[in-house]
Amino acid sequence: MKLLWAVTALLLSCWRADASTAGFIKSPLSQMKLTNDSGELHCEVVGNPIPEVQWWFVEGEEPNETFTQLFDGARNDRVKINATYIAHATSTIHLTSLTLEDSGTYECRASNDPDRNELKKTPKIKWIRSQANVIVIETPNIHTEPSEVTNQTSAVLSCNLTDAGMSSKGSHWTFNGKIIESSKKDGNTHHTTHKLEKITHANSGKYECVFLTDPEVKQTIEVRTLPHVAAYKHSEHGNENDKVVLVCVSHGYPLPTDWLWFKQNDEETQVSITNGTEKYEIKNTPNKTSLTINNLNIDSDLGHYICSGSNELGVATDKINLRVRSRLAALWPFLGIVAEVIILVTIIFIYEKRRKPDEVNDDDDSGSAPLKSNSNANHKDKNVRQRNSN
Amino acid sequence: MPPAAATNLGYTPPDGGWGWAVVFGAFISIGFSYAFPKSLTIYFKEIQEYFSVSYSEIAWVSSVMLASMYAGGPVSSILVNRYGSRPVVIVGGVLVCTGMALASFGTNIIHLYLCVGVIGGFGLAFNLQPSLTIIGTYFQVKRPMANGLAMTGSPVILSTLAPLNQFLFDSFGWRGSFLILGSIVLNCCVAGALMRPVNKSIPRKTIDESSKCESEAQEHAAAEDTTTHSDNLQTEDQSESKGHSFVQKFIDLSLFRHRGFLIYLIGNVVLFFGFFAPVVFMAPYAKHQGIDEYSAAFLLSIFALADMFIRPTTGLVGNTKWIRPRIQYFFSFAVSYNGVCHLMCPLASGYTGLVVYAVFFGLAFGMLSALLFEVLMDLVGAPRFSTAVGLVTIIECGPVLLGPPMAGALVDYFGDYKYIYYACGVFMLVSGIFFFVMHYYNYKKLDEERGKSKAMETRNSDEAVQLKMNQADRTMNETDE
Repeated sequence: MKLLWAVTALLLSCWRADASTAGFIKSPLSQMKLTNDSGELHCEVVGNPIPEVQWWFVEGEEPNETFTQLFDGARNDRVKINATYIAHATSTIHLTSLTLEDSGTYECRASNDPDRNELKKTPKIKWIRSQANVIVIETPNIHTEPSEVTNQTSAVLSCNLTDAGMSSKGSHWTFNGKIIESSKKDGNTHHTTHKLEKITHANSGKYECVFLTDPEVKQTIEVRTLPHVAAYKHSEHGNENDKVVLVCVSHGYPLPTDWLWFKQNDEETQVSITNGTEKYEIKNTPNKTSLTINNLNIDSDLGHYICSGSNELGVATDKINLRVRSRLAALWPFLGIVAEVIILVTIIFIYEKRRKPDEVNDDDDSGSAPLKSNSNANHKDKNVRQRNSN
Repeated sequence: MPPAAATNLGYTPPDGGWGWAVVFGAFISIGFSYAFPKSLTIYFKEIQEYFSVSYSEIAWVSSVMLASMYAGGPVSSILVNRYGSRPVVIVGGVLVCTGMALASFGTNIIHLYLCVGVIGGFGLAFNLQPSLTIIGTYFQVKRPMANGLAMTGSPVILSTLAPLNQFLFDSFGWRGSFLILGSIVLNCCVAGALMRPVNKSIPRKTIDESSKCESEAQEHAAAEDTTTHSDNLQTEDQSESKGHSFVQKFIDLSLFRHRGFLIYLIGNVVLFFGFFAPVVFMAPYAKHQGIDEYSAAFLLSIFALADMFIRPTTGLVGNTKWIRPRIQYFFSFAVSYNGVCHLMCPLASGYTGLVVYAVFFGLAFGMLSALLFEVLMDLVGAPRFSTAVGLVTIIECGPVLLGPPMAGALVDYFGDYKYIYYACGVFMLVSGIFFFVMHYYNYKKLDEERGKSKAMETRNSDEAVQLKMNQADRTMNETDE
């Protein structure tokens, strides 16, 4: 009898041992964030059966801690929890629009104990926990001088990190997202400048000074100029009754918001209509505009066309000269060369006929007819078999 | 004295005189045939935008033109066999001119396919075969030289047409350019007019009379030997099959039993897979290595320049007494050299490496092109050359059209250009080695057969002498009685 109990206990323990307790393979990491930034904590747990993962927020100091469980959509929908339970459990918690109150300890709890949610039993024993600290600090103020550059020929951009408490490893500038290599500085700098000798459309755009603190802080200075408008080709050709496309492109910042096309008639300008007529068609994108002129008329469509692009600072234009080729323009060289060919062929045939009219055979290439020859030297050996040859 | 081995021509080719004018005509004709489709690519971007079609649709124009040019081969052969070279070339010139003129009024892309592609391609086919054929009728001794000179037309006309096309395009737009190009191609008619049919009233000179110095006799003998004996063997076949079918009158299908022709055909099919792709991809490969557009285009110019100079040189070399009898080996060497060149290409690094490659490739390409038709003439002889080249071009159509797209697929799959060069190099090396081996065997067989036929001739002449002696005896006896 005792043996039976022992065996049963052994079997039960074996069966029980199949189930493994939960264990963390990835724990959430502590991080420091700025206000209005977003952060995420990630947690992965293995176990058999697959454990359940929960996120809890811990406030206060031991032993007077308060625990608050976080759900998807908590804190005014700023909390998002993404969990998967395939093979092992993973869970990620996203916090957006961080405020100073979001600072604290976040706990990832996991358990695969079937009794884990029993309120009658002490939960601490049955849940494993892993913690991470999230510290939210006030975004330090970066003072930019000037705050934006408009229509200047040159400028010195400077950034001043007012929060002296933060230590930085260096700083650099970026232009439209790309790091300017020569602006990199090492060391605990809180002040950096970037000089623009000559502001043109090529170097206008968004400049950002970046301080390599933990976390990184940056501020943007916009450098704006008049748009720079250029035509693809300043001289265009079109064929009569055919169509032609005139194109203008623009560089710089900000890009033009409006494009207009004009046709110049002796110092006075006319507006061309967009898309309304079968004659003209205008297609606009911020950095390119194209004017398609259909059914070119050799008299009226000839001349200068002006494309003008305008942004909030002003207007820039460029001029294209359109020439219309007559339909017959190519015909004269064609006829000329055909005439030349006919003359040459005639000369060759006449030369052939006049030079040796007796030795030349015109149509002997089938070779079957006996050769007619008046040549004095009669070499023909009648025994030689004339084969049908070319 | 035994009758000397009859040449397959039945007359002595002039080997000079008006022949050089014919070579000039062939130079122009062949030049336009090869250079014209390539030079049209300058207009493609503009036409693509005008008709709003994709790049592959516009590239089809070139492919259709090339395909028609090769497919028109047999038709061209039949016409040349029937009417001779001159009328066919003139008709060809008129066809291309009409095709281009019609295309200049085209309203959609199909119109272009038909006019430029089909009509233009056929016209060019009517230019290519007859030009090659007529060189064979005018030259025997100096034939490799003549062929080399005529084939030089292709790079010369290409390098003239390329800037000319650009200029025409800037001045007249693509429609006007097509019209003017049509008239320029009409000059092929002038080339055709020069192709006066050769004068066949001058009989064949026997070997004894023809030359004083031994070397020229050797050259003659050597030149006649290969063509004669390869043809002698086939005359029996030819006379048997003559009159068998209507087709037989126009196309000599007995060529498929010709050993040399078969070797040439098989080798060429493999060769052409890797022939054009490296040219097509040279500029993109250079740009892929980071070289700017103008330098990449300059590579092609270097290639064309090397090509231009090696072709006549190859003709000259092929004409020497050491090479001429064994010209097939020279051709095999040229093919293998091409293969080796391509295999070494991926080793070239930087712009200088690519320039060196372009020079070597230009030399290889020119050497091969100059000999391409010369060896066919050497194998099958001038009378059947026209048919042979027609059959060869229509069968080569496949590899020529498939080669570049297959190479393009390789690039897309591997993302690296060097695999094209490896593949092309392998194709050419394999066909080069195939040629070497097969021609060694072929020459051996030809020598054997020559030995046999010489033995037969001496036997025949001995019998003839014996017969004559018997007859003389009999008459003597009769007169006696």
